Order: sequence, then C-alpha cells, then structure tokens
Amino acid sequence: MAILLPLLVAVLIGAGVYLVLSRALIRLIIGLSMIAYGANLSILLAGAGTAQDAPPLLNTQGPYNDPLPQALILTAIVIGFGTTALLLVLSVRAYQATRTDHVQELVERLDPLEAPDAYADPERPSVSPEVGPDVEGTR
Amino acid sequence: MTGSQLLLLAVALPLLASLVAPVAARVMGAKVGWLLASVFVPTLMLFTDVESVRSGTALEARVDWVSGIGLAFAFRADGFSLLFASIIAAVGLLIFVYAASYLGPGERHGRFFSYLLIFAGAMLGLVLADNLIALFAFWELTSISSFLLIGFWGARKASQDGALKALVITVLGGLALLVAVVLLILIGGDTRLSALDLAAIKASPLFVPLVVLLLIAAFTKSAQIPFYLWLPTAMEAPTPVSAYLHSATMVKAGIVLIAKMGFLFEVAPFSQVVLYVGLATMFWGAYLALRQNDLKALLAYSTISQLGLLTALYGAGHPFAATAHLINHAVFKAALFMAVGIIDHSAGSRDIGALSGLWRKLPFTTVLAVPAALSMAGLPPFGGFISKELFFEEMLHEGTLPTLIAVSGSIMTFAYSLRFLRVFFGRFRCENPGVHEASLPFLAPLIPLSVAVILFGLFPWDATIATWFTDLAAGSLGYEGESLYLWHGLGLGLALSVLTWFSGTALHLIRDHFVAMQTRLTPGWNANTVYYQLLAGLEHLALWLTNFTQGATFATHLRLIWGALALAGLGVASHAIFPRPGPVPLSMAIVGLLIVASVTGVLLARTRFSALIFMGLAGFGSTLVFVLLRAPDLALTQLLIEVVTVILFLSVFRFLPVLKRYSRPAPVALIDGIISLGVAFTVFVALVMVQVPLAPRIKDYFLAFSKELGGGYNVVNVILVDFRGYDTMGEITVLAIVAVTVLALIRLRFKRSQAGHEENRGER
Repeated sequence: MAILLPLLVAVLIGAGVYLVLSRALIRLIIGLSMIAYGANLSILLAGAGTAQDAPPLLNTQGPYNDPLPQALILTAIVIGFGTTALLLVLSVRAYQATRTDHVQELVERLDPLEAPDAYADPERPSVSPEVGPDVEGTR
Repeated sequence: MTGSQLLLLAVALPLLASLVAPVAARVMGAKVGWLLASVFVPTLMLFTDVESVRSGTALEARVDWVSGIGLAFAFRADGFSLLFASIIAAVGLLIFVYAASYLGPGERHGRFFSYLLIFAGAMLGLVLADNLIALFAFWELTSISSFLLIGFWGARKASQDGALKALVITVLGGLALLVAVVLLILIGGDTRLSALDLAAIKASPLFVPLVVLLLIAAFTKSAQIPFYLWLPTAMEAPTPVSAYLHSATMVKAGIVLIAKMGFLFEVAPFSQVVLYVGLATMFWGAYLALRQNDLKALLAYSTISQLGLLTALYGAGHPFAATAHLINHAVFKAALFMAVGIIDHSAGSRDIGALSGLWRKLPFTTVLAVPAALSMAGLPPFGGFISKELFFEEMLHEGTLPTLIAVSGSIMTFAYSLRFLRVFFGRFRCENPGVHEASLPFLAPLIPLSVAVILFGLFPWDATIATWFTDLAAGSLGYEGESLYLWHGLGLGLALSVLTWFSGTALHLIRDHFVAMQTRLTPGWNANTVYYQLLAGLEHLALWLTNFTQGATFATHLRLIWGALALAGLGVASHAIFPRPGPVPLSMAIVGLLIVASVTGVLLARTRFSALIFMGLAGFGSTLVFVLLRAPDLALTQLLIEVVTVILFLSVFRFLPVLKRYSRPAPVALIDGIISLGVAFTVFVALVMVQVPLAPRIKDYFLAFSKELGGGYNVVNVILVDFRGYDTMGEITVLAIVAVTVLALIRLRFKRSQAGHEENRGER
C-alpha cells in the first residue's frame, strides 16, 4: 500500500501533466481534473499515510484517522470543482467567439474575437506553424 | 554644540531640508536658493575644530541603526574628509545662490532644490562616512539624485538619454562597490573604514578581485576610460547642476574612493593601472575637448581630462600634488561652468563659432572667467599653474612615457582653454541682440571663486590658503606637508610648462587643421555606439529570455516549470528510502487497476464523450480510495462533485469543440512524455518520503473537543463549519463568485464579426 498508492497518484498526475501540455482546450480541462484527483489523494497520503483506523466519527469506536487532512481535502475538492466549472464555461465561450480550441492560437491572435480568416496581415499565421494543417477531427 | 553633533548635523541638514524645500519654494520661488544655501553652514562650522583635526584627531560621530550587523551612520572627519566636505559645502553654497538666479520663473523650483539638497547631503555623507555600508548607501544616493537632476528637463529626449546613461553606468559601478564593500567587511573584519585589518586584506586571496571591483566603482563614477561617456551627455542637466555635480563634487567621488583606499592601490601593478588609465583619460578627454563647439561640452570633456589627471596622481601615490590640483580644479571649473551658464542665459547660445568679443557686453563675467580659464590652462600666476607644475614633476619621477602623455595632454588643455577664452575677445559676434550683463546676484557666486583662483596662485606659500588647505589632508593621506611655491626654480618642470604654453598656443592657431585631421581619424564607431549596441543587445537578450521562459507559448512556460520539478525529483531520489512493498488488499488492487485503466482510457480517447466517461471513472476510482482509507466524507463529496461535473459537461456538450487530435511533432511529444514521467516520478518519490503523520496534538485536539466545542460527532464536518469556519466561508464566497461568473458567461452575447458563425451561437 505504501508503494501502490503513491504510484497511483503519480499515474494520475503524470497523465494530467501530459494532457495539460496538449493543445486542445478540452484535454487541458480534463488534465487539470486529473491533477486535482492526484493532488487530493496526495494530501491524504502525506498527512495521514495509509493508516486504516476508524473514520473520524466520534460515535464509532476509536482509534480514529486524522481528521485534519480530510477537512483540507474536502475544501480542495469543492474548489477544484469551481475551477473546472469556470474553465469549462470559459472554454465554451472562447470557442464560440474565436472558432478555435487551439490553446496557442488563442494566445497568438491579435484580436481573439476576430475570426482567423479575417486577418489582414498574411504574414502573421493564425495557427502556429509547428502544428500545420494536419488536423484531423473526429466526433 | 560639540564637534560630533555638528558632524551629524552637517550631513542631516541638507537631507532634512530637501523635505522642506518644495513648500518653501512655493512661497519664495527660485529665491529659496538663497535661504537653502544656509544648510551648508554646519559643514563650514566644522572648521572650528580644524586645529585638532590637523594634529591628527579626527572628529567622530555615530548613530546606531542596526547594531547587530554593524549597521550604523558612523562619520569621521579626518583631514582629507574635512577638506573635501568643505569644498562640497563652499561650492554648494555658491551654486545654490547661483541657481536662484539661473532658474526661470516657470521652473519647478521646489523639486529642483529638493533634488539638489538630497545630492548635497548624500555627497557630504559619502566623504564623511566611516561605516562602509553607509558609504555605499550614500554612493548610490548620489547616483540616483544625479539621475533626477540630469533628467530635470525630462521632456527632452536628450535629457532622458543622458540621465539614463549616467544611471546605468554609475549604478554598474555601485554594484561593484557593493560587492567590494561586502568583501572588505568580511576580510577586513570591521564595518568601519578606519578599523579595517589591512594586513589581512592584503594577504587574502580575494585581494585582487576586491581591488578590481573598487577600481570599477571609482572609474565609473569619475568618468575614466572606458566609462567616461556618461559625463558629456550629463551636460543636459541645468548648468548649476553641471557646475556642482559634474565638475566639483560627484565625479570626484571616485577620486575620493581611490584616495581613501590608496593603501590598497599602492601595491604594484595596481598603481600602474590606475596611473595609465588616468593618463589615458587625461589625454583622450583633452583630445576630444578640442573638437567641441559647445562651451558646455568643451568643459565636460575638459572635466574628464582633469579627472584623469587626478586619478593618475592619486593612483601613482602623489597625494600632495593631487590634493593641490583637486582644490584648484574644483574652484576654476565651478567658476567656468557658472560663466557658461551666464553666457547661455544672456547670449542665448553656447556655440563657440557663433560667439566672440563678448567682453564688450559682459565685462564683469569676462573679468571673472578669464582667471579661471587661465588657471585651467596652467598659466602663472594662477592656482592651476602650481598644481600643473607639481604634476609634471611627479610624472618626471614616473618615467618618460607618463611625462610624454602628460605634456601632450597639457598642450591640448592649453589650446582648448584659449579656445574657451575666444568667446570673450576679438570682433563682437552674437546673434542675440538683447545680450546683456548678468545681475549682481547672478554674478556674485563667481567672485569668491575667481578671487580664490588668483589667491591660490599669488600667495600659495606657507600658512596661506592653498598650502593650508593642501596640508589639511596630509595626515589622513599620509604625506609630508610641503609648501606650494609659485616659483619652483629653474627646472625641468618649468621647462615643460613653458613648452606647453608655446606648443598650446601654436596648436590653438592651427586648430582648424588639427580638427580636420581628427575628423579624418575618427572611426565609424566610438564608445557611445558600443554603449548603445550593448544596451540594445541586453534588451534583445531580456526579451528573448522572457519570451522563451514565460511568454512565447503557454505550453513552453509549463514545460519549464514542470521540467524543473522533474529535475528536482531526480535530485532527491537518491536520498529517498523506499519502504518494503507490503501486502496489498484485493480491494485496493482492484481500485488501482480501475484508476490505471481509466487514465489510459483518457489518454487514448478519440472523442469528447469517451474522454468524459474515462475521466468520470478516474474520479470514481479516487472516490473508492477515499472509502478504503476511511474517509467517508471525502468519498461522498467526491462522488457528488463527480456527478455534478459530468452533468455540467453534458449540459454544454453540444457547444464543446470536437476533440481534435492536434498531433504534436514527434520530438515535442517525446519531450512532453519525458516531462510527464519526470513529474510523476517526483510525485512518487515525494509521497513515498513524506508519509509521516502530522503532529498528533492537532489531531488529538480536534478529536477531543469536537463534541464539546462544536457539538458534532463527525469531526471533519465540525472542523469545516466550526473550527475553520472562516475558511469555509471564504470557500463559499469563491464558489459564489464562480457561479456568478459562469452565469454571466452563459448570458453574455458576443460581438460577432462575421455572420457566418451564426449557426454556432450558444445563446438559447
């Protein structure tokens, strides 16, 4: 357990990092959620270890697990949800306005509300060149 | 009032007055300068103790600041400090009177005098400071106040450029000084300049870097090659500032440093380095001064040249001659700058080519400026002759090459001094018809300076002013008090002087040809172009670095941060103690499989929907971990949140972009993969290492008092709503803000640039 749980957290966070480094907005949001899962578990592991005493409910028989990390994680879960919700709605809005879900392109646009084909300056690509046109879309 | 109280007041009064000056200027206008000149009285009153200082007892004063780290405003007026402080005070007093007439009615007088007072206080603090840290602080303060004064007419592009250049270069030296001061304190074992352990410093392996840093500081401040280029552009300052800062005082701060730290430079080869840098600067400054057509620019390059002369003399260990010239230069250069200010004011021009014969309209200015200019040229019977002759004699001791440089530099000095004088004599030429003599208050500050120039020359010997002042510094700089004589006897020194006069006159007569030759010899680049290229290069580097590390792409920014994290994990991995893998319960093994499977699913998902499902599964897996680790509240909350999140995703599902696979180029994908693995490894190592239960007293407190104080059996809940209720309130506030923002985003109608996007509008 002392090895398995850290390993699971590492898997969650590593996958989250890889997704956040991707260019599609949705992957970024999902990646952040995965990191949040991992972070919540790691607070528990770091604070209380893998102890399997009784849950901190005083009407059961002790000894009890440490309640403090649990309280902290509870806050973290809720705040994590707030972040995800905000990011999700923001992404939908950004996508509607800009017609792109490419993170880097959103950064590079001169005027994000301007559609890419409305660019006057042909010297300035609306999609960063490293991506190229090989965008395959599936639903 | 005792001497030490007076010493503190001498430094503090200008700084305090700088706070009052803006208010006073509102009432009195520019005339406030007359009143503010009185801040120098305490410094001049230090002379009541001059006899004890001469006999070797320095005045000392000390106000502790942070005594634990040896930080104190400690001041010490030995002979040299007192001499220099009195120059600052005397010239400062005259400059304040002069500035009261110089500044027009529309100027911001309060600000001007405030800056000038800060500078004066900083300069007095600098020369009188005994604490090295205080010395550094005052040094920087002179740089900053100089920046403010040069940029006083900040609307002009040239002023901005001049101020910035001065700041960049002198602060560069300030940084060098900071390191040098720290080294001095560490090696020398004391923060007091007068209590440093010289033997330890000289024996230290850091001695050479220390001296180099001190020299950089001194050379930047005193405009030596190759740092001189800030001084000419600093002439954008109002003329009183140029006269004060950039001739008599601030630029000599580096000379002060060299003089005070002379004990460090005595060692070969540093004395030779200082000697030749000084001589080269002396030559080059005079060479460039000859080319100038602006009176003020001529004086600026002349100042560079004279500073080189002083550096050479102090560096080569001739403090007597150096101190004599220090006094002379301060006096004649201040007078000349003031004269230029008057000419500029009344003739409306500083162009040497457009002005001549001004003595007809400016008789008093002419009478006052001519002795100063002749002193600069080194003609008897003026002060400059005496110190120039001493300079020649010392250079003769140094060898042939120094003498050659000294004489050729002096010839050019003589020539540009004559050129300066040309504006007063000859046929009258001036484009401004309203040219007129300055008012008495405007002229008055020149009178004592010109009188001093003559007195220093005519009566230099024993117990009169020049010798008396020069001897004042004898004890502290460690030289024998000598006498100054106008007549040094028939020697090589006199012969060189005579040679200088005749060759200088000849050079002046053929100046046009000489300048034509200079123009031909000028390469396409100079110190200024190098400076601007360096500055532009620095800007490019900064821009590139910023863009690379945090600007260019969002992903790169994250890659750098996470890459560093991954490296950190690798760094600590060798110290990790991995526990023996224990038995894993079947339930946990199943949950582990679930999580790994769902993470794999998320990574491989081709559609939005499948990615969402796998993400939910991963969340469900972490819920089960909470169950297994006896955290029922967490499990419940996580489950609830998971459901809400999925609902949220589904409700905006039809507006979401399809899950495109923006294929990363193979190397990028590889790097991202390595970074992800590295971060995962770091997290793993960290979690293996830190599975230490928190201090039990926190846990025990909550468990013991949950029912009694919070009235609940569920300790986690009691913590959230009671013990840490404010936290939860903050959290609720955050959620409320998120809710409002989400609502606003959903309702917001976007400006549409193209009708073609209508079908994708998200409004209902």
